[in-house]
Amino acid sequence: MSKETVTRINSNYQQYRVSDGAAEPWPENATLYQQLKGEQILLSDNAASLAVQAFLQMCNLPIKVVCRANAEYMSPSGKVPFIHVGNQVVSELGPIVQFVKAKGHSLSDGLDEVQKAEMKAYMELVNNMLLTAELYLQWCDEATVGEITHARYGSPYPWPLNHILAYQKQWEVKRKMKAIGWGNKTLDQVLEDVDQCCQALSQRLGTQPYFFNKQPTELDALVFGHLYTILTTQLTNDELSEKVKNYSNLLAFCRRIEQHYFEDRGKGSSSIRSS
Amino acid sequence: MAAPLELSCWGGGWGLPSVHSESLVVMAYAKFSGAPLKVNVIDNTWRGSRGDVPILTTEDNIVSQPAKILNFLRKQKYNADYELSAKQGADTLAYIALIEEKLLPAVLHTFWVESDNYFTVTKPWFASRIPFPLSLILPGRMSKGALNRILLTRGEPPLYHLREVEAQIYRDAKECLNLLSNRLGTSQFFFGDTPSTLDAYVFGFLAPLYKVRFPKVQLQEHLKQLSNLCRFCDDILNSYFRLSLGECTVTYWNFTLWMCI
Repeated sequence: MSKETVTRINSNYQQYRVSDGAAEPWPENATLYQQLKGEQILLSDNAASLAVQAFLQMCNLPIKVVCRANAEYMSPSGKVPFIHVGNQVVSELGPIVQFVKAKGHSLSDGLDEVQKAEMKAYMELVNNMLLTAELYLQWCDEATVGEITHARYGSPYPWPLNHILAYQKQWEVKRKMKAIGWGNKTLDQVLEDVDQCCQALSQRLGTQPYFFNKQPTELDALVFGHLYTILTTQLTNDELSEKVKNYSNLLAFCRRIEQHYFEDRGKGSSSIRSS
Repeated sequence: MAAPLELSCWGGGWGLPSVHSESLVVMAYAKFSGAPLKVNVIDNTWRGSRGDVPILTTEDNIVSQPAKILNFLRKQKYNADYELSAKQGADTLAYIALIEEKLLPAVLHTFWVESDNYFTVTKPWFASRIPFPLSLILPGRMSKGALNRILLTRGEPPLYHLREVEAQIYRDAKECLNLLSNRLGTSQFFFGDTPSTLDAYVFGFLAPLYKVRFPKVQLQEHLKQLSNLCRFCDDILNSYFRLSLGECTVTYWNFTLWMCI
């Protein structure tokens, strides 16, 4: 593909006209693409995918999950998951929430301005701390990289492509960590940040069923995606999940969403264990 | 606690005690929590380091990065968040994350990447406070660092192209400013009547954007329309950073020197 074509596709993506999608209702054959669940997908991508699935379940919109080894490359922004609805392709939770809103479904319409600001702030907290910590653990902690990440990330590809892709991705992530000031952090400091983030989420949630009392919002979907994945993914040690387990209301929160939106809908409990 | 706390940071201008956001956050927090800080402004002698500013030095410790410095001050019992509830403490973390993700890229762009702003304002200002020949290298390095950070965190692969990202980061920053304005409402500070960590962060990021005179001002114009945020910055400047006459004279002298360069 020539550079001009890719530029055009990218700029089209950046300015995708919301009005184009608004006219059509949500089709039955909407699909969500992610990497292969059993062998390939990593902690951070799994969390993102689960967050989107939870969000769509909360909106009562049917979605079929399709696993493809090259989902990352198919995505218009390079990040998973992405959804294919009608003739539109949208990736990442933020744009998907806007896209779904344009089609007339929204979870946060009932919130006032101050609550909306809080919701956006907490979503950034999750992205800033939890997601970055997951990326750090996956790509910058040598033990995890050696035992889990490298093997999983390149698993669908033949040698030497599997190694090349894994090293390339690791280099990219390390560059990003350095730019945002996480390059010199130790694993203990990262785990402390995770603990701080979980403490903030736990304090905000309190005894309510969802973050904004009775109705779930995209924040609940995002938090569920990350916490559930952290709790159910087996890593080299249990330190990360132990941090989350310290907060019982967060555990109850995850269980509640899993029961209400995944098990009750006949999907069965999703087993996201990485072997 | 009796040990002197020295803060090494970039100096002020345009009515601000510092034009560097992170330094300003720490200075504001120190004022709010009553921590006795001795501020050492970086000048163009070879004294003091320039990397990783602001830096807090005590007898046995050297702490860098605003978050760590604030933690250190809290451990020394200078706590501006004493009266906050648990939920307000959680909200503080969330809003700081919002500022760092949504507002910081655009602030970095306005200061360091937008060429009109960088070459006419930022670079001369910083270069005049760095000894030759570092003054030829360091501003450029800081500019590249800012661009790098913007592209790596907001640029979408496979093309890390600035033009595509610019529109998005300014949109996000304007939205963030609107959200902060909505949250502040008509209160004097974000949590009640006493300033806290969040107020320090918001002030640190907003005040330079508000006061520094730039040629390209789209974000500044947007901020000026949010009168409660402007009032917030002015209140803090007047209450906590009122310049003494001597400092006024020094600032004026620096300014005229800079104008002559």
